[in-house]
Amino acid sequence: MAAIGKLADKRTVEVRVIGDWVEPGSRVLDLGCGRGVLLEYLVQTKKIHAIGVDFDFEKVAACVKRGLTAYQGDLEVFLRGFPDGHFDRVIFSRTLEELAHPAAVINEALRVGRCVTVGFVNHAYWRNRIAAFFHGRKPRNEVYTAAWSEARPTNPLSVADFESFCIQSGLRIRRRALLRGDWKRDCRLLPNLFAGYAVYEIGR
Amino acid sequence: MNESSDNAAAPESGEVGLVEPHDFVSAEPFTFDCGQSIPGFTLRYETYGRLNDRRDNAILVCHALSGDHHAAGIHSLRDRKTGWWNNIIGPGKALDTTKYFVICTNCLGGCQGSTGPMSTDPTTGRPYGMTFPALTIRDMVRADKRLLDHLGITRLHAAIGGSMGGMRVLQFGIEYPDFVERMLPMATTARENAQAIAFNAVGREAIMQDPEWHGGDYAAGGGPRVGLAIARMMAHITYVSDQSMDRKFGRRKREAADAGPAGQFEVESYLQHQGQSFINRFDANTYLYITRALDHFDLAGTYGSLEKAFEPVKARTLCVAFTSDWLFPSDQNRAFVLALLRSGKSASYAELTTDLGHDSFLLESPALYDLVRSFLAA
Repeated sequence: MAAIGKLADKRTVEVRVIGDWVEPGSRVLDLGCGRGVLLEYLVQTKKIHAIGVDFDFEKVAACVKRGLTAYQGDLEVFLRGFPDGHFDRVIFSRTLEELAHPAAVINEALRVGRCVTVGFVNHAYWRNRIAAFFHGRKPRNEVYTAAWSEARPTNPLSVADFESFCIQSGLRIRRRALLRGDWKRDCRLLPNLFAGYAVYEIGR
Repeated sequence: MNESSDNAAAPESGEVGLVEPHDFVSAEPFTFDCGQSIPGFTLRYETYGRLNDRRDNAILVCHALSGDHHAAGIHSLRDRKTGWWNNIIGPGKALDTTKYFVICTNCLGGCQGSTGPMSTDPTTGRPYGMTFPALTIRDMVRADKRLLDHLGITRLHAAIGGSMGGMRVLQFGIEYPDFVERMLPMATTARENAQAIAFNAVGREAIMQDPEWHGGDYAAGGGPRVGLAIARMMAHITYVSDQSMDRKFGRRKREAADAGPAGQFEVESYLQHQGQSFINRFDANTYLYITRALDHFDLAGTYGSLEKAFEPVKARTLCVAFTSDWLFPSDQNRAFVLALLRSGKSASYAELTTDLGHDSFLLESPALYDLVRSFLAA
Protein backbone atom coordinates (compact mmCIF):
# COMPACT_ATOMS: atom_id res chain seq x y z
CA MET A 1 0.00 0.00 0.00
CA ALA A 2 2.87 2.33 0.81
CA ALA A 3 4.20 1.85 -2.71
CA ILE A 4 0.81 2.75 -4.20
CA GLY A 5 0.70 5.89 -2.05
CA LYS A 6 4.18 6.88 -3.11
CA LEU A 7 3.28 6.31 -6.75
CA ALA A 8 0.18 8.50 -6.39
CA ASP A 9 2.39 11.25 -4.90
CA LYS A 10 4.75 10.92 -7.82
CA ARG A 11 1.93 11.14 -10.33
CA THR A 12 0.76 14.36 -8.67
CA VAL A 13 4.27 15.81 -8.90
CA GLU A 14 4.53 14.74 -12.51
CA VAL A 15 1.24 16.43 -13.41
CA ARG A 16 2.33 19.67 -11.71
CA VAL A 17 5.80 19.75 -13.23
CA ILE A 18 4.58 19.05 -16.75
CA GLY A 19 1.55 21.30 -16.27
CA ASP A 20 3.67 24.29 -15.22
CA TRP A 21 4.99 24.81 -18.72
CA VAL A 22 1.64 24.57 -20.49
CA GLU A 23 0.28 27.91 -21.72
CA PRO A 24 -3.35 28.63 -20.84
CA GLY A 25 -5.76 28.10 -23.72
CA SER A 26 -3.20 26.28 -25.85
CA ARG A 27 -3.79 23.24 -28.04
CA VAL A 28 -2.19 20.26 -26.34
CA LEU A 29 -1.70 16.69 -27.52
CA ASP A 30 -0.89 14.06 -24.87
CA LEU A 31 0.60 10.95 -26.45
CA GLY A 32 0.06 7.93 -24.23
CA CYS A 33 -2.51 9.81 -22.18
CA GLY A 34 -3.57 6.85 -20.05
CA ARG A 35 -6.72 7.54 -18.08
CA GLY A 36 -6.47 11.28 -18.71
CA VAL A 37 -5.29 12.47 -15.27
CA LEU A 38 -2.86 15.02 -16.72
CA LEU A 39 -5.26 16.31 -19.37
CA GLU A 40 -8.13 16.64 -16.91
CA TYR A 41 -5.88 18.74 -14.64
CA LEU A 42 -4.78 20.90 -17.57
CA VAL A 43 -8.33 21.41 -18.84
CA GLN A 44 -9.45 22.44 -15.37
CA THR A 45 -6.51 24.70 -14.52
CA LYS A 46 -5.45 26.05 -17.90
CA LYS A 47 -8.54 25.72 -20.10
CA ILE A 48 -6.49 24.01 -22.78
CA HIS A 49 -7.85 22.33 -25.89
CA ALA A 50 -6.81 18.78 -25.14
CA ILE A 51 -6.53 15.60 -27.16
CA GLY A 52 -5.23 12.38 -25.69
CA VAL A 53 -4.05 9.34 -27.60
CA ASP A 54 -3.78 5.88 -26.14
CA PHE A 55 -3.64 2.39 -27.53
CA ASP A 56 -5.90 0.87 -24.90
CA PHE A 57 -9.72 0.85 -25.04
CA GLU A 58 -10.14 0.99 -21.25
CA LYS A 59 -7.88 4.05 -21.00
CA VAL A 60 -9.72 5.89 -23.77
CA ALA A 61 -13.05 4.99 -22.18
CA ALA A 62 -11.79 6.44 -18.88
CA CYS A 63 -10.87 9.67 -20.69
CA VAL A 64 -14.33 9.88 -22.27
CA LYS A 65 -15.79 9.44 -18.79
CA ARG A 66 -13.77 12.46 -17.65
CA GLY A 67 -15.25 14.46 -20.50
CA LEU A 68 -11.97 14.50 -22.43
CA THR A 69 -11.35 14.06 -26.13
CA ALA A 70 -9.40 10.87 -26.66
CA TYR A 71 -8.36 8.80 -29.62
CA GLN A 72 -7.66 5.09 -29.46
CA GLY A 73 -4.90 3.99 -31.75
CA ASP A 74 -1.30 3.96 -32.78
CA LEU A 75 0.31 7.32 -32.10
CA GLU A 76 2.57 7.21 -35.16
CA VAL A 77 -0.48 6.81 -37.40
CA PHE A 78 -2.24 9.56 -35.47
CA LEU A 79 0.64 12.02 -35.88
CA ARG A 80 0.75 11.42 -39.63
CA GLY A 81 -2.86 12.66 -39.79
CA PHE A 82 -1.96 16.24 -38.80
CA PRO A 83 -0.38 19.17 -40.60
CA ASP A 84 2.78 20.95 -39.42
CA GLY A 85 2.40 23.04 -36.29
CA HIS A 86 -1.19 21.95 -35.59
CA PHE A 87 -0.57 21.67 -31.84
CA ASP A 88 1.02 24.19 -29.50
CA ARG A 89 2.51 21.41 -27.41
CA VAL A 90 2.91 17.67 -27.63
CA ILE A 91 3.48 15.82 -24.37
CA PHE A 92 5.10 12.45 -23.80
CA SER A 93 4.59 11.62 -20.16
CA ARG A 94 6.41 8.35 -19.49
CA THR A 95 5.56 7.29 -23.04
CA LEU A 96 9.00 7.35 -24.70
CA GLU A 97 9.95 4.14 -22.89
CA GLU A 98 7.07 2.35 -24.64
CA LEU A 99 7.85 3.38 -28.20
CA ALA A 100 9.23 1.17 -30.91
CA HIS A 101 10.78 4.08 -32.87
CA PRO A 102 11.43 6.88 -30.36
CA ALA A 103 13.55 9.11 -32.62
CA ALA A 104 11.07 8.99 -35.48
CA VAL A 105 8.14 9.69 -33.18
CA ILE A 106 9.89 12.63 -31.50
CA ASN A 107 10.63 14.08 -34.93
CA GLU A 108 6.98 13.70 -35.96
CA ALA A 109 5.88 15.28 -32.69
CA LEU A 110 8.18 18.25 -33.39
CA ARG A 111 6.60 18.56 -36.82
CA VAL A 112 2.96 18.66 -35.63
CA GLY A 113 3.75 20.53 -32.40
CA ARG A 114 5.51 23.84 -31.85
CA CYS A 115 7.18 22.36 -28.79
CA VAL A 116 7.45 19.00 -27.14
CA THR A 117 7.48 18.05 -23.47
CA VAL A 118 9.12 14.79 -22.52
CA GLY A 119 8.88 13.33 -19.03
CA PHE A 120 10.62 10.08 -18.13
CA VAL A 121 11.98 8.01 -15.28
CA ASN A 122 15.77 8.17 -15.24
CA HIS A 123 16.84 4.59 -15.60
CA ALA A 124 20.40 5.45 -14.54
CA TYR A 125 19.22 6.58 -11.08
CA TRP A 126 21.69 5.25 -8.52
CA ARG A 127 19.29 2.80 -6.89
CA ASN A 128 18.58 1.23 -10.26
CA ARG A 129 22.32 0.94 -10.80
CA ILE A 130 22.67 -0.82 -7.46
CA ALA A 131 19.89 -3.23 -8.39
CA ALA A 132 21.76 -4.08 -11.55
CA PHE A 133 25.35 -3.93 -10.24
CA PHE A 134 25.16 -5.58 -6.83
CA HIS A 135 22.04 -7.71 -7.15
CA GLY A 136 22.11 -8.30 -10.86
CA ARG A 137 18.35 -7.79 -10.92
CA LYS A 138 15.81 -5.69 -12.77
CA PRO A 139 14.93 -2.82 -10.39
CA ARG A 140 11.65 -3.22 -8.49
CA ASN A 141 10.10 -0.21 -6.81
CA GLU A 142 7.01 1.98 -7.03
CA VAL A 143 8.00 3.07 -10.54
CA TYR A 144 9.14 -0.31 -11.86
CA THR A 145 6.36 -2.31 -10.29
CA ALA A 146 6.38 -5.55 -12.22
CA ALA A 147 8.77 -8.47 -12.23
CA TRP A 148 10.39 -9.02 -15.63
CA SER A 149 8.11 -11.98 -16.24
CA GLU A 150 5.00 -9.84 -15.92
CA ALA A 151 6.32 -6.59 -17.42
CA ARG A 152 5.69 -5.19 -20.87
CA PRO A 153 8.72 -4.80 -23.09
CA THR A 154 10.12 -1.34 -22.41
CA ASN A 155 12.98 0.67 -23.71
CA PRO A 156 14.22 2.58 -20.64
CA LEU A 157 16.42 5.64 -21.01
CA SER A 158 18.58 7.86 -18.85
CA VAL A 159 19.17 11.60 -18.55
CA ALA A 160 22.47 11.12 -20.36
CA ASP A 161 20.84 9.07 -23.14
CA PHE A 162 18.24 11.73 -23.77
CA GLU A 163 20.57 14.72 -23.66
CA SER A 164 23.05 13.13 -26.04
CA PHE A 165 20.16 12.24 -28.36
CA CYS A 166 19.13 15.91 -28.38
CA ILE A 167 22.68 17.04 -29.19
CA GLN A 168 23.09 14.49 -31.96
CA SER A 169 19.70 15.34 -33.46
CA GLY A 170 20.26 19.10 -33.26
CA LEU A 171 17.32 19.57 -30.88
CA ARG A 172 17.30 22.52 -28.54
CA ILE A 173 16.59 21.85 -24.87
CA ARG A 174 14.54 24.88 -23.88
CA ARG A 175 13.71 23.89 -20.34
CA ARG A 176 14.65 21.10 -18.02
CA ALA A 177 13.40 19.95 -14.61
CA LEU A 178 15.35 17.26 -12.81
CA LEU A 179 14.01 15.80 -9.58
CA ARG A 180 15.69 13.56 -7.04
CA GLY A 181 14.52 10.08 -6.14
CA ASP A 182 11.58 11.42 -4.13
CA TRP A 183 10.47 13.41 -7.24
CA LYS A 184 10.18 16.47 -4.98
CA ARG A 185 13.53 18.10 -4.41
CA ASP A 186 15.50 19.57 -7.30
CA CYS A 187 18.46 17.54 -8.38
CA ARG A 188 21.45 19.80 -9.05
CA LEU A 189 24.33 17.39 -8.63
CA LEU A 190 25.14 14.70 -11.19
CA PRO A 191 21.59 14.30 -12.50
CA ASN A 192 22.31 11.15 -14.48
CA LEU A 193 23.16 9.50 -11.17
CA PHE A 194 20.88 11.25 -8.70
CA ALA A 195 17.79 12.30 -10.67
CA GLY A 196 14.81 9.96 -10.34
CA TYR A 197 12.64 11.83 -12.80
CA ALA A 198 13.36 14.22 -15.65
CA VAL A 199 11.20 16.57 -17.71
CA TYR A 200 12.43 18.40 -20.80
CA GLU A 201 10.93 20.90 -23.16
CA ILE A 202 12.55 20.56 -26.55
CA GLY A 203 12.24 22.36 -29.85
CA ARG A 204 14.14 22.82 -33.06
CA MET B 1 -28.38 -9.86 -34.55
CA ASN B 2 -32.07 -9.54 -33.85
CA GLU B 3 -32.18 -11.65 -30.72
CA SER B 4 -32.32 -9.63 -27.58
CA SER B 5 -32.15 -10.41 -23.91
CA ASP B 6 -31.78 -8.27 -20.86
CA ASN B 7 -29.27 -10.22 -18.80
CA ALA B 8 -26.25 -8.23 -20.03
CA ALA B 9 -27.58 -4.87 -18.88
CA ALA B 10 -27.07 -3.37 -15.44
CA PRO B 11 -29.13 -5.12 -12.77
CA GLU B 12 -31.31 -2.11 -12.08
CA SER B 13 -32.23 -1.68 -15.73
CA GLY B 14 -35.77 -2.28 -16.90
CA GLU B 15 -37.66 -2.58 -20.12
CA VAL B 16 -39.43 0.01 -22.23
CA GLY B 17 -42.34 -2.44 -22.47
CA LEU B 18 -45.37 -1.82 -24.65
CA VAL B 19 -44.95 0.99 -27.17
CA GLU B 20 -46.91 2.22 -30.11
CA PRO B 21 -45.78 3.95 -33.26
CA HIS B 22 -46.99 7.42 -34.22
CA ASP B 23 -47.33 9.11 -37.57
CA PHE B 24 -46.15 12.65 -38.21
CA VAL B 25 -47.69 14.18 -41.32
CA SER B 26 -45.91 17.14 -42.85
CA ALA B 27 -48.29 18.92 -45.23
CA GLU B 28 -45.56 21.24 -46.49
CA PRO B 29 -43.94 20.38 -49.82
CA PHE B 30 -40.53 18.76 -49.53
CA THR B 31 -37.80 19.34 -52.11
CA PHE B 32 -35.16 16.64 -52.38
CA ASP B 33 -31.45 17.28 -53.03
CA CYS B 34 -32.08 16.17 -56.62
CA GLY B 35 -34.47 19.13 -57.10
CA GLN B 36 -37.70 17.11 -57.32
CA SER B 37 -40.47 17.72 -54.80
CA ILE B 38 -43.30 15.85 -53.16
CA PRO B 39 -46.35 17.68 -51.78
CA GLY B 40 -45.81 16.37 -48.25
CA PHE B 41 -44.76 13.27 -46.38
CA THR B 42 -45.40 11.02 -43.41
CA LEU B 43 -42.77 9.84 -40.94
CA ARG B 44 -43.55 6.94 -38.66
CA TYR B 45 -41.75 7.15 -35.34
CA GLU B 46 -41.62 5.90 -31.78
CA THR B 47 -40.54 7.65 -28.60
CA TYR B 48 -39.38 6.29 -25.27
CA GLY B 49 -39.10 8.33 -22.08
CA ARG B 50 -40.36 11.88 -21.53
CA LEU B 51 -39.31 15.21 -22.97
CA ASN B 52 -38.26 17.43 -20.06
CA ASP B 53 -39.50 20.97 -19.44
CA ARG B 54 -36.44 22.51 -21.04
CA ARG B 55 -37.03 20.28 -24.09
CA ASP B 56 -33.34 19.49 -24.31
CA ASN B 57 -33.06 15.84 -23.27
CA ALA B 58 -33.92 14.31 -26.64
CA ILE B 59 -31.78 11.67 -28.27
CA LEU B 60 -32.36 10.83 -31.92
CA VAL B 61 -31.68 7.20 -32.79
CA CYS B 62 -30.92 6.70 -36.50
CA HIS B 63 -31.49 3.27 -37.96
CA ALA B 64 -29.42 1.51 -40.61
CA LEU B 65 -30.39 0.34 -44.11
CA SER B 66 -32.93 -2.30 -43.15
CA GLY B 67 -33.93 -0.90 -39.76
CA ASP B 68 -37.03 1.01 -38.80
CA HIS B 69 -38.66 3.18 -36.14
CA HIS B 70 -39.27 0.26 -33.78
CA ALA B 71 -36.04 0.50 -31.81
CA ALA B 72 -37.18 -0.69 -28.39
CA GLY B 73 -39.98 -2.39 -26.51
CA ILE B 74 -42.77 -4.51 -27.94
CA HIS B 75 -45.96 -3.66 -29.81
CA SER B 76 -48.01 -6.44 -28.28
CA LEU B 77 -47.60 -8.94 -25.47
CA ARG B 78 -47.47 -11.65 -28.11
CA ASP B 79 -44.39 -10.14 -29.79
CA ARG B 80 -41.51 -12.58 -29.66
CA LYS B 81 -39.00 -9.94 -30.67
CA THR B 82 -38.31 -6.54 -29.19
CA GLY B 83 -37.26 -3.45 -31.15
CA TRP B 84 -33.87 -3.69 -32.88
CA TRP B 85 -31.85 -1.77 -30.27
CA ASN B 86 -33.75 -2.83 -27.16
CA ASN B 87 -30.50 -3.81 -25.42
CA ILE B 88 -29.33 -0.19 -25.25
CA ILE B 89 -32.64 1.71 -24.84
CA GLY B 90 -34.68 1.53 -21.65
CA PRO B 91 -34.89 2.57 -18.00
CA GLY B 92 -31.38 2.37 -16.53
CA LYS B 93 -29.81 1.31 -19.83
CA ALA B 94 -27.16 3.29 -21.72
CA LEU B 95 -29.86 5.36 -23.45
CA ASP B 96 -31.64 5.75 -20.14
CA THR B 97 -35.31 6.49 -20.75
CA THR B 98 -35.69 7.79 -17.19
CA LYS B 99 -33.31 10.61 -18.22
CA TYR B 100 -33.64 10.96 -21.96
CA PHE B 101 -36.44 11.30 -24.46
CA VAL B 102 -35.45 8.83 -27.15
CA ILE B 103 -36.88 9.21 -30.64
CA CYS B 104 -36.53 6.83 -33.55
CA THR B 105 -38.02 7.50 -36.96
CA ASN B 106 -38.44 5.34 -40.01
CA CYS B 107 -36.38 7.34 -42.48
CA LEU B 108 -37.84 9.17 -45.45
CA GLY B 109 -37.91 6.73 -48.35
CA GLY B 110 -38.50 3.83 -45.97
CA CYS B 111 -41.21 1.22 -46.18
CA GLN B 112 -42.34 0.76 -42.57
CA GLY B 113 -44.89 3.56 -42.51
CA SER B 114 -42.88 6.55 -43.70
CA THR B 115 -43.33 7.99 -47.16
CA GLY B 116 -41.32 6.10 -49.74
CA PRO B 117 -41.60 4.45 -53.13
CA MET B 118 -44.46 2.23 -51.86
CA SER B 119 -46.55 5.25 -50.87
CA THR B 120 -49.28 6.64 -53.08
CA ASP B 121 -48.34 9.62 -55.22
CA PRO B 122 -51.27 12.03 -54.60
CA THR B 123 -50.92 13.48 -58.09
CA THR B 124 -51.48 10.11 -59.82
CA GLY B 125 -53.25 8.06 -57.18
CA ARG B 126 -50.73 5.26 -57.80
CA PRO B 127 -47.62 4.19 -55.87
CA TYR B 128 -44.57 6.34 -56.58
CA GLY B 129 -42.46 3.32 -57.53
CA MET B 130 -39.42 4.50 -59.45
CA THR B 131 -40.93 7.98 -59.88
CA PHE B 132 -40.07 8.66 -56.24
CA PRO B 133 -37.35 11.35 -56.23
CA ALA B 134 -33.74 10.21 -55.87
CA LEU B 135 -33.01 10.11 -52.15
CA THR B 136 -29.98 11.23 -50.15
CA ILE B 137 -28.89 10.88 -46.53
CA ARG B 138 -29.35 14.65 -46.26
CA ASP B 139 -32.97 14.32 -47.42
CA MET B 140 -33.61 11.84 -44.59
CA VAL B 141 -32.03 14.21 -42.09
CA ARG B 142 -34.02 17.21 -43.25
CA ALA B 143 -37.26 15.22 -43.03
CA ASP B 144 -36.35 14.07 -39.48
CA LYS B 145 -35.70 17.68 -38.49
CA ARG B 146 -39.28 18.62 -39.41
CA LEU B 147 -40.54 16.01 -36.97
CA LEU B 148 -38.20 17.18 -34.21
CA ASP B 149 -39.37 20.77 -34.73
CA HIS B 150 -42.97 19.57 -34.60
CA LEU B 151 -42.26 17.80 -31.28
CA GLY B 152 -40.96 21.11 -29.88
CA ILE B 153 -37.42 19.87 -29.40
CA THR B 154 -35.00 22.79 -29.13
CA ARG B 155 -31.73 20.86 -29.05
CA LEU B 156 -30.73 17.25 -29.43
CA HIS B 157 -28.78 15.99 -26.45
CA ALA B 158 -27.35 13.49 -28.92
CA ALA B 159 -27.81 11.82 -32.28
CA ILE B 160 -26.71 8.20 -32.35
CA GLY B 161 -26.65 5.45 -34.95
CA GLY B 162 -24.63 2.72 -36.59
CA SER B 163 -23.83 2.07 -40.25
CA MET B 164 -26.20 4.22 -42.35
CA GLY B 165 -27.45 5.55 -39.02
CA GLY B 166 -23.94 6.89 -38.41
CA MET B 167 -24.02 8.69 -41.75
CA ARG B 168 -27.30 10.31 -40.74
CA VAL B 169 -25.73 11.34 -37.43
CA LEU B 170 -22.78 13.03 -39.17
CA GLN B 171 -25.05 14.74 -41.67
CA PHE B 172 -27.28 15.97 -38.85
CA GLY B 173 -24.32 17.58 -37.08
CA ILE B 174 -23.24 19.28 -40.31
CA GLU B 175 -26.71 20.42 -41.38
CA TYR B 176 -27.92 21.66 -37.99
CA PRO B 177 -24.81 22.53 -35.97
CA ASP B 178 -26.65 24.53 -33.32
CA PHE B 179 -29.19 21.79 -32.84
CA VAL B 180 -26.91 18.84 -32.07
CA GLU B 181 -24.85 18.67 -28.88
CA ARG B 182 -23.34 15.22 -29.31
CA MET B 183 -22.79 12.93 -32.27
CA LEU B 184 -22.35 9.23 -31.68
CA PRO B 185 -21.68 7.58 -35.04
CA MET B 186 -20.76 3.89 -34.94
CA ALA B 187 -19.40 1.44 -37.51
CA THR B 188 -19.81 3.97 -40.29
CA THR B 189 -17.99 5.98 -42.92
CA ALA B 190 -17.94 9.44 -44.45
CA ARG B 191 -17.99 7.69 -47.80
CA GLU B 192 -18.08 4.09 -48.91
CA ASN B 193 -15.17 2.54 -50.72
CA ALA B 194 -15.71 0.68 -53.97
CA GLN B 195 -16.17 -2.65 -52.16
CA ALA B 196 -19.24 -1.52 -50.22
CA ILE B 197 -20.70 0.09 -53.36
CA ALA B 198 -20.01 -3.13 -55.25
CA PHE B 199 -21.99 -5.23 -52.78
CA ASN B 200 -24.92 -2.83 -52.97
CA ALA B 201 -24.71 -2.87 -56.76
CA VAL B 202 -25.04 -6.67 -56.85
CA GLY B 203 -28.03 -6.46 -54.51
CA ARG B 204 -29.71 -3.92 -56.76
CA GLU B 205 -28.95 -6.03 -59.81
CA ALA B 206 -30.58 -9.09 -58.19
CA ILE B 207 -33.74 -7.03 -57.64
CA MET B 208 -33.85 -5.37 -61.05
CA GLN B 209 -33.10 -8.59 -62.95
CA ASP B 210 -36.03 -10.31 -61.27
CA PRO B 211 -38.78 -10.37 -63.95
CA GLU B 212 -41.31 -9.49 -61.25
CA TRP B 213 -39.68 -6.11 -60.71
CA HIS B 214 -41.35 -4.57 -63.82
CA GLY B 215 -39.33 -1.38 -63.67
CA GLY B 216 -40.45 -0.87 -60.09
CA ASP B 217 -44.14 -1.01 -61.01
CA TYR B 218 -45.57 -3.88 -58.99
CA ALA B 219 -48.50 -4.43 -56.64
CA ALA B 220 -48.10 -4.32 -52.88
CA GLY B 221 -47.10 -7.75 -51.55
CA GLY B 222 -45.80 -8.84 -54.96
CA GLY B 223 -42.77 -7.66 -56.83
CA PRO B 224 -39.24 -9.05 -57.09
CA ARG B 225 -39.38 -11.28 -54.02
CA VAL B 226 -36.66 -13.62 -55.26
CA GLY B 227 -34.35 -10.77 -56.18
CA LEU B 228 -34.89 -8.99 -52.88
CA ALA B 229 -34.27 -12.19 -50.91
CA ILE B 230 -30.99 -12.79 -52.76
CA ALA B 231 -29.95 -9.16 -52.18
CA ARG B 232 -30.59 -9.60 -48.47
CA MET B 233 -28.81 -12.96 -48.28
CA MET B 234 -25.70 -11.49 -49.81
CA ALA B 235 -25.83 -8.29 -47.78
CA HIS B 236 -26.24 -10.29 -44.59
CA ILE B 237 -22.86 -11.93 -45.21
CA THR B 238 -21.26 -8.47 -45.23
CA TYR B 239 -22.76 -7.67 -41.82
CA VAL B 240 -21.07 -10.57 -40.03
CA SER B 241 -17.63 -12.13 -40.20
CA ASP B 242 -15.83 -15.32 -41.15
CA GLN B 243 -15.24 -16.12 -37.50
CA SER B 244 -18.76 -15.45 -36.29
CA MET B 245 -20.32 -17.45 -39.10
CA ASP B 246 -17.95 -20.32 -38.54
CA ARG B 247 -18.76 -20.34 -34.84
CA LYS B 248 -22.49 -20.26 -35.50
CA PHE B 249 -22.68 -22.76 -38.38
CA GLY B 250 -19.33 -24.29 -39.14
CA ARG B 251 -19.76 -26.91 -41.84
CA ARG B 252 -22.76 -28.48 -40.13
CA LYS B 253 -25.51 -29.84 -42.34
CA ARG B 254 -29.22 -30.04 -41.90
CA GLU B 255 -30.89 -33.42 -41.99
CA ALA B 256 -34.33 -32.73 -43.36
CA ALA B 257 -36.55 -34.18 -46.03
CA ASP B 258 -36.26 -31.08 -48.21
CA ALA B 259 -32.50 -30.82 -47.82
CA GLY B 260 -31.72 -32.71 -51.03
CA PRO B 261 -29.57 -35.81 -51.56
CA ALA B 262 -26.30 -34.17 -50.45
CA GLY B 263 -27.87 -32.38 -47.49
CA GLN B 264 -27.92 -28.67 -46.97
CA PHE B 265 -25.41 -26.61 -45.02
CA GLU B 266 -26.88 -24.88 -42.01
CA VAL B 267 -25.55 -21.57 -43.27
CA GLU B 268 -27.56 -22.04 -46.46
CA SER B 269 -30.84 -22.54 -44.68
CA TYR B 270 -30.00 -19.69 -42.31
CA LEU B 271 -29.45 -17.28 -45.18
CA GLN B 272 -32.62 -18.50 -46.89
CA HIS B 273 -34.49 -17.79 -43.70
CA GLN B 274 -32.93 -14.31 -43.55
CA GLY B 275 -34.01 -13.67 -47.15
CA GLN B 276 -37.54 -14.97 -46.61
CA SER B 277 -38.21 -13.00 -43.46
CA PHE B 278 -36.81 -9.88 -45.11
CA ILE B 279 -39.15 -9.98 -48.12
CA ASN B 280 -42.11 -10.12 -45.75
CA ARG B 281 -41.19 -6.80 -44.17
CA PHE B 282 -39.21 -4.85 -46.74
CA ASP B 283 -39.94 -3.24 -50.09
CA ALA B 284 -37.63 -3.84 -53.03
CA ASN B 285 -37.87 -0.28 -54.39
CA THR B 286 -37.01 1.16 -50.99
CA TYR B 287 -33.99 -1.16 -50.99
CA LEU B 288 -32.91 0.34 -54.32
CA TYR B 289 -33.42 3.93 -53.13
CA ILE B 290 -31.75 3.57 -49.77
CA THR B 291 -28.72 1.66 -51.06
CA ARG B 292 -28.30 4.42 -53.67
CA ALA B 293 -28.46 7.01 -50.87
CA LEU B 294 -25.75 5.08 -49.01
CA ASP B 295 -23.52 4.77 -52.06
CA HIS B 296 -23.82 8.45 -53.00
CA PHE B 297 -23.14 9.67 -49.47
CA ASP B 298 -19.73 11.32 -49.78
CA LEU B 299 -18.97 14.13 -47.36
CA ALA B 300 -15.55 14.89 -48.85
CA GLY B 301 -16.92 14.90 -52.40
CA THR B 302 -20.01 16.96 -51.57
CA TYR B 303 -18.29 19.65 -49.52
CA GLY B 304 -14.86 19.70 -51.16
CA SER B 305 -13.06 18.02 -48.28
CA LEU B 306 -13.91 16.38 -44.96
CA GLU B 307 -12.49 19.40 -43.15
CA LYS B 308 -14.81 21.71 -45.08
CA ALA B 309 -17.74 19.38 -44.44
CA PHE B 310 -17.10 19.48 -40.71
CA GLU B 311 -16.37 23.20 -40.51
CA PRO B 312 -19.82 24.16 -39.14
CA VAL B 313 -20.00 21.27 -36.63
CA LYS B 314 -20.44 22.31 -33.00
CA ALA B 315 -21.27 18.93 -31.50
CA ARG B 316 -18.81 16.84 -29.55
CA THR B 317 -18.31 13.48 -31.22
CA LEU B 318 -17.61 9.96 -30.04
CA CYS B 319 -17.09 7.45 -32.82
CA VAL B 320 -17.08 3.76 -31.98
CA ALA B 321 -15.70 1.25 -34.47
CA PHE B 322 -15.21 -2.51 -34.34
CA THR B 323 -12.11 -4.48 -35.20
CA SER B 324 -13.95 -7.14 -37.22
CA ASP B 325 -16.07 -4.73 -39.29
CA TRP B 326 -14.91 -5.27 -42.87
CA LEU B 327 -17.84 -3.44 -44.50
CA PHE B 328 -17.05 -0.05 -42.93
CA PRO B 329 -13.60 -0.84 -41.54
CA SER B 330 -12.14 0.99 -38.57
CA ASP B 331 -9.78 2.95 -40.87
CA GLN B 332 -12.78 4.63 -42.48
CA ASN B 333 -14.12 5.55 -39.03
CA ARG B 334 -10.71 6.90 -38.00
CA ALA B 335 -10.51 8.96 -41.19
CA PHE B 336 -13.48 11.16 -40.35
CA VAL B 337 -12.53 11.39 -36.67
CA LEU B 338 -9.08 12.69 -37.67
CA ALA B 339 -10.73 15.18 -40.03
CA LEU B 340 -12.97 16.42 -37.21
CA LEU B 341 -9.88 16.83 -35.03
CA ARG B 342 -8.00 18.65 -37.78
CA SER B 343 -10.99 20.99 -38.03
CA GLY B 344 -10.49 21.77 -34.35
CA LYS B 345 -13.57 19.84 -33.17
CA SER B 346 -13.83 17.59 -30.15
CA ALA B 347 -13.95 14.03 -31.47
CA SER B 348 -13.11 10.87 -29.58
CA TYR B 349 -12.50 7.51 -31.13
CA ALA B 350 -12.76 4.10 -29.48
CA GLU B 351 -12.47 0.69 -31.03
CA LEU B 352 -13.97 -2.45 -29.56
CA THR B 353 -12.36 -5.79 -30.20
CA THR B 354 -15.13 -8.07 -31.43
CA ASP B 355 -15.39 -10.85 -33.98
CA LEU B 356 -18.99 -10.21 -35.01
CA GLY B 357 -18.30 -7.97 -38.00
CA HIS B 358 -20.22 -4.86 -39.06
CA ASP B 359 -23.29 -5.70 -36.95
CA SER B 360 -21.14 -5.48 -33.80
CA PHE B 361 -22.73 -2.12 -33.00
CA LEU B 362 -25.84 -4.07 -31.99
CA LEU B 363 -23.73 -6.20 -29.66
CA GLU B 364 -24.61 -6.78 -26.04
CA SER B 365 -21.45 -5.36 -24.57
CA PRO B 366 -21.17 -3.81 -21.10
CA ALA B 367 -18.00 -2.01 -22.27
CA LEU B 368 -19.95 -0.40 -25.12
CA TYR B 369 -22.87 0.50 -22.84
CA ASP B 370 -20.53 2.14 -20.29
CA LEU B 371 -18.78 4.12 -23.00
CA VAL B 372 -22.02 5.41 -24.50
CA ARG B 373 -23.48 6.15 -21.07
CA SER B 374 -20.46 8.15 -19.93
CA PHE B 375 -20.22 10.09 -23.20
CA LEU B 376 -23.88 11.08 -22.90
CA ALA B 377 -23.34 12.17 -19.29
CA ALA B 378 -20.07 14.07 -19.81
